Amino acid sequence: MAKNTSDKSSEVKTGTSKSSASKSSASKSSASKSSASKSSASKSSASKSSTSKSSTAGSSASRGGAAVSAAVPSSQGKDASAKLREEVRKVIREANESTVQAKGIDFTDPAYYTNRELSWLDFNYRILNEARDKSNPLFERLNFLAITSSNLDEFFMVRVASLKDMVHAGYTKPDLAGLSAEKQLELVEKKCHELIEKQYSTWNRSLLPAMQAEKMNLVTNLEDLSPKQKKYLDQYFMEKVYPVLTPTAFDASRPFPLVRNKSLNIGALISVRETDSEKDSARATFAMNLKKNGEKFLDQGAKGKSLKKGLMFATVQVPGVLPRAIQVPSEEEGSMCAVLLEDAIVANMDKLFAGYDVVCAHPYRITRNADLTIDEDDTDDLLEEIQEKIKRRQWGEVIRFEYEDSMDPKLLKLLRRELDVRDEELYPIQGPLDLTFLFKVYRMSGFDHLRAKPYTPQNVPDLMHMKEDEDLFSMIRKKDIFLSHPYQTFDPVVRLISDAAEDPDTLAIKMTLYRVSGHSPIVAALARAAENGKQVTVLVELKARFDEENNIQWAEMLEKAGCHVIYGLVGLKTHSKIALVVRREEDGIRRYVHLGTGNYNDSTAKLYTDCGLMTCRDAYGEDATAVFNMLSGYSEPKHWNRLHLAPIWLRDSFYSLIDREIRHAKANEPAHIIAKMNSLCDRDIIAKLYEASSAGVKIDLIIRGICCLKTGIPGVSENITVRSIVGTFLEHARIFSFANGGNEEVYMGSADWMPRNLDRRVEILFPLEDRECAAKARHILDVQLADTLKAHELKSSNQYEKIDKRGKALIGAQATLMREAVEAAKNPDNPKQTRTFTPAEKKTKTENLS
Amino acid sequence: MAVKLFASIMIGSSETEMKIYEVSPKKGFHMIDCMTRRIDLGLDAYERGSISPQKLDRLVETLNEFGEIMQGLRVDSYRMVGTSALREIKTGLVTHDIIERRTGLKLLILSNTEQRFLDYKAIASQTESFEQVIKKGTAIVDIGGSSLQISVFDKDKLITTQNVRIGKIATRSRFYPLAKNNEHFEKILAELLDHELYGFEKLYQKDRRINTLIATNKELQTLFSTLYPNRPVLTVTREEFDSAYNSIVYMNAEEITERYSIPFDLAQALVPSAIICKGLLDMFESDGVWLPDVSIGDGLAYDYAVANKAVSSAHSFDEDILAASRSIAKRYKSHQPHIRNVEENSLAIFDKMKKIHNLGKRERLLLQISAILHNCGKYISLTDVADCAYNILLVTEIIGLSQSEQRIVANIIRFNTLDFPYYEELSQTTNVSREEYIVIAKLTAILKAANALDRSHHQRVTDIRVSVKGDEVILGVLSDKDLTLERGTLEEKDSLFEEVYNLKPVLHQTSTARK
Repeated sequence: MAKNTSDKSSEVKTGTSKSSASKSSASKSSASKSSASKSSASKSSASKSSTSKSSTAGSSASRGGAAVSAAVPSSQGKDASAKLREEVRKVIREANESTVQAKGIDFTDPAYYTNRELSWLDFNYRILNEARDKSNPLFERLNFLAITSSNLDEFFMVRVASLKDMVHAGYTKPDLAGLSAEKQLELVEKKCHELIEKQYSTWNRSLLPAMQAEKMNLVTNLEDLSPKQKKYLDQYFMEKVYPVLTPTAFDASRPFPLVRNKSLNIGALISVRETDSEKDSARATFAMNLKKNGEKFLDQGAKGKSLKKGLMFATVQVPGVLPRAIQVPSEEEGSMCAVLLEDAIVANMDKLFAGYDVVCAHPYRITRNADLTIDEDDTDDLLEEIQEKIKRRQWGEVIRFEYEDSMDPKLLKLLRRELDVRDEELYPIQGPLDLTFLFKVYRMSGFDHLRAKPYTPQNVPDLMHMKEDEDLFSMIRKKDIFLSHPYQTFDPVVRLISDAAEDPDTLAIKMTLYRVSGHSPIVAALARAAENGKQVTVLVELKARFDEENNIQWAEMLEKAGCHVIYGLVGLKTHSKIALVVRREEDGIRRYVHLGTGNYNDSTAKLYTDCGLMTCRDAYGEDATAVFNMLSGYSEPKHWNRLHLAPIWLRDSFYSLIDREIRHAKANEPAHIIAKMNSLCDRDIIAKLYEASSAGVKIDLIIRGICCLKTGIPGVSENITVRSIVGTFLEHARIFSFANGGNEEVYMGSADWMPRNLDRRVEILFPLEDRECAAKARHILDVQLADTLKAHELKSSNQYEKIDKRGKALIGAQATLMREAVEAAKNPDNPKQTRTFTPAEKKTKTENLS
Repeated sequence: MAVKLFASIMIGSSETEMKIYEVSPKKGFHMIDCMTRRIDLGLDAYERGSISPQKLDRLVETLNEFGEIMQGLRVDSYRMVGTSALREIKTGLVTHDIIERRTGLKLLILSNTEQRFLDYKAIASQTESFEQVIKKGTAIVDIGGSSLQISVFDKDKLITTQNVRIGKIATRSRFYPLAKNNEHFEKILAELLDHELYGFEKLYQKDRRINTLIATNKELQTLFSTLYPNRPVLTVTREEFDSAYNSIVYMNAEEITERYSIPFDLAQALVPSAIICKGLLDMFESDGVWLPDVSIGDGLAYDYAVANKAVSSAHSFDEDILAASRSIAKRYKSHQPHIRNVEENSLAIFDKMKKIHNLGKRERLLLQISAILHNCGKYISLTDVADCAYNILLVTEIIGLSQSEQRIVANIIRFNTLDFPYYEELSQTTNVSREEYIVIAKLTAILKAANALDRSHHQRVTDIRVSVKGDEVILGVLSDKDLTLERGTLEEKDSLFEEVYNLKPVLHQTSTARK
């Protein structure tokens, strides 16, 4: 499921473009921080600035040179941190300019970059392709279509909103691809219209017929219903729907009603029906007033031209508490018939406005600017501020107006005017609005034959040898444990915290929480641990976009249980996934660390591909301790043993690692980078990759979503390949392999190569020192690079295309990893790490999930 | 001894730090956690003489967090110390009380010498080659907030340790506002330093070659570990130092923060630290400087580990204290054979009376120091030896001694020749506590006896054998010399001994012929 909602860490829910664009433009630079400039700078005593710059940007993984405490929540520290970043950019720019001059190539040329929003839309197109792919089971296709719809909602609320903000503010600086905000908005809106058109063409031309073929009828014209079905629907409406509807009329005495973000509504024009009955006098009076006021409104607001006198506007929200698709009795055995809730309401509008004639009624939906910008410096209580901002989301500017394409022009005109909608923001829809209801269709009981065979996450072979007298801690002491979700179960992670909560030797548990599930067993275990007297420190990131409310609840609950809760850091989002269990054992203190690429969310761990490491190596334990000290407001450590942290050190670490590959390439030694992540849109990193490619480093990128890098540019990116895998599971792991002249190093982490991850978030990159663990991570990369079924390749035309399967074995990466996990769990004593792939059977030509 | 957890908490001039150590005979001691929070108490302390309520609140909040962490980790023992900022505030007692009351943690304000000694212990315990290094001329300098401590070693002995009243924070707060610009500030500070170091150079360094300069200073450590991140032992050549110095010396703190990404608080004290360090490098003509990453907490942990027999040091820190004492005695022209004799005899008496006086190793060391220094008053006056010695001792810092211990030593020496007063009498003129008084009495009694045994200053009583028989302490000596003077003096001075121990010291002479 390539749904993007909870991978809110990535493309849809990114930081404001305003700041990112500002930074990007301020640093018209590439990542080049050449070692030459470093050394010369550090040697130079005459040039004060160059010496300092070298120290700032030039230091490597061990310390990184930056010492401004990210954790110190002082404005001074924050200013210094901002200045530091600016300084780093200056150094990079200067260093890059020298490189550019030396090579004659400007790796930062906007022509070498793709706009991130357009690239994101490409990603949604790739998901849409899965909905169109007839080799996928029907319900999977419906699910993919729902994902595109949900993704688009978020895209509009955040990214498009951000572009509009920039345009309103007169922001003119171009993005990394050289596009102004205005131009981006123009291109994005154009591409969105095309995408939505394609979505509905897929729905109408492909999916609806396919559903009908499976005897699933979605009746849109209620005249087609049989009398029996009509009766059932009427009864359903009166019993279930009518009581929860709140129709609102709009006149001069009442403001235009609040139309909630993303809510589905029915807009109607109504006119007063003359009453002749005394017993209806009260209603008549009300109606007269309404008419009077309505006319007054029309006179004032629409200058009497918009609507004919006597017409009034009314709206009713389609209740979210009821199922969108109402199943009505089927006339034919073995078939299913359903009606959409909004259609049922439209058909019964006259019941809502008794005494009125309903002239027309049509569904519409708006998307508002929901970007949550918090001035943390002026905020005494972050918790309260976020709660307040969440409420205000409902009043954000309208940035998209979706409506039934047959909407009455008068109604459309009124809604446009009242909601202040521009032409480009109008999205006439040829079908049901808000296709996310298909998620519910996907989850309907029965119809198993229309879904991919469900997969059960497997046991972790390394933990299957656990004897009765052993516990998870003793297993971790034996060896580092590598976890690959959802192929393998997330239970060990839950168990680590859960066991620690009850374990008498556990002294402390520390953890970061970004997004957790509804009834998180991890949160429950943390609360239990605190109640059991353990020292529990939890950083709950309140600023996790669209999970703010959820996280506030968790945070308050944990605090009540006695945990020490840190409500995030000022100016930074804590996106790292790290847990630390401190135990007092016979031979002293031992620290157990879990580091992951995905959230501590047992629900999404069944859907997202993520990796984790459990270790009790001292070096990791010391670093983990230092991480939590920093997050608790203490100074950063003098050095890091193994971990590389953003926002201070991580960027430099990546530069150093890429630089090392460049040196190896120049020395004719193995030089190869394989990087798997969700998004790549950091100009400096891309420029550094271009530099590496031009130096002869082979680079294979597996990027699910946004990729602003272009492939196949002569002299710039000829050695770079980019592929994207959209499959049953959401690709989410971040894995990085560096050939390092033959001594390969494999890293994993929480960060994408995006400015926000590298500069504005607390992220962790960690090496896999255990060879077996490293091999397992590397194997995932290999399998993904071998995928011929679900992978799209970015061509030099800047288009994503499916792999040309001719002459190739049909391999689905996710299917392969599932199969391997099942086999490994069956035979834990011989966990063969295969590097050969079993082709899918040709006859199905599909990803064989079994 | 199982594995124990020890926490050291240091309330410093610019930051408050807690380090947690694992201590066991198997693994020695090693740090497992370190939490540092920047709270610049120094600025308040040196400028206003008190800590602002806001900073005190922040300090208390931090200490309470430390307390919770210690509790959570089930720390076995802790030691919380305050350094110069807390030492130098006028509201010291009140602040001390507030901290203890609001945190429930016991606070010890270190004397300057204790503080420096802990730093020095930290360096020695963390630097593998320390013993090798100090065989040649070595200076350990601690560039602190309000003063600079210089300790000079040669031939693995501590030659001297001196405190110079010029510190990184105090000088900045005092002279930075006066300076016309950053260049002028450097000039003022360099001149001041020159003047302060002149005396040290003439009196203590003389022609001694200092090969190695070891500096403990967080600001320089941070700067150079940023510049040279991959050096496991942070040594900086003179050339490297000068290069960095030239880069930063005219920068203001904001610029330093920007350029080197050093936290602003540290950046503020970096320039004065660098100017002081440069002055020392110039004076010692050293080839470079070591900047070990240690703090007082490591010294405290070392002490705890030694006390719990988790480590045994290759280096004797007590010897350093004694060496420093001998150096003082030498400076005041004490009669060396005499003080050696008194030292030996007093320790012989002390050791044989362990069960009676119930004092420990530390008190033995105090007695030894008292014996070494008991004669230094004569340098000032031959008639008023006691008070002169007492005053010298009160103003002379002896590394490694707490203020209380220094008070004990000064009083022992004073009453070595004067009549011993009753507590009520003494407490009217000094701030000696009851506990200190008892120690002073016990040790003074022994010193008086040992001193009596060399009344002639001819070391006629050597190699004494001490035994306790009945109500007498027999001081047996094998000698054919005339010991009339010694015997008479001992009888004259035995009243305190009898009063304290209820035993009479008796000199028992055996002829070598009889033997």
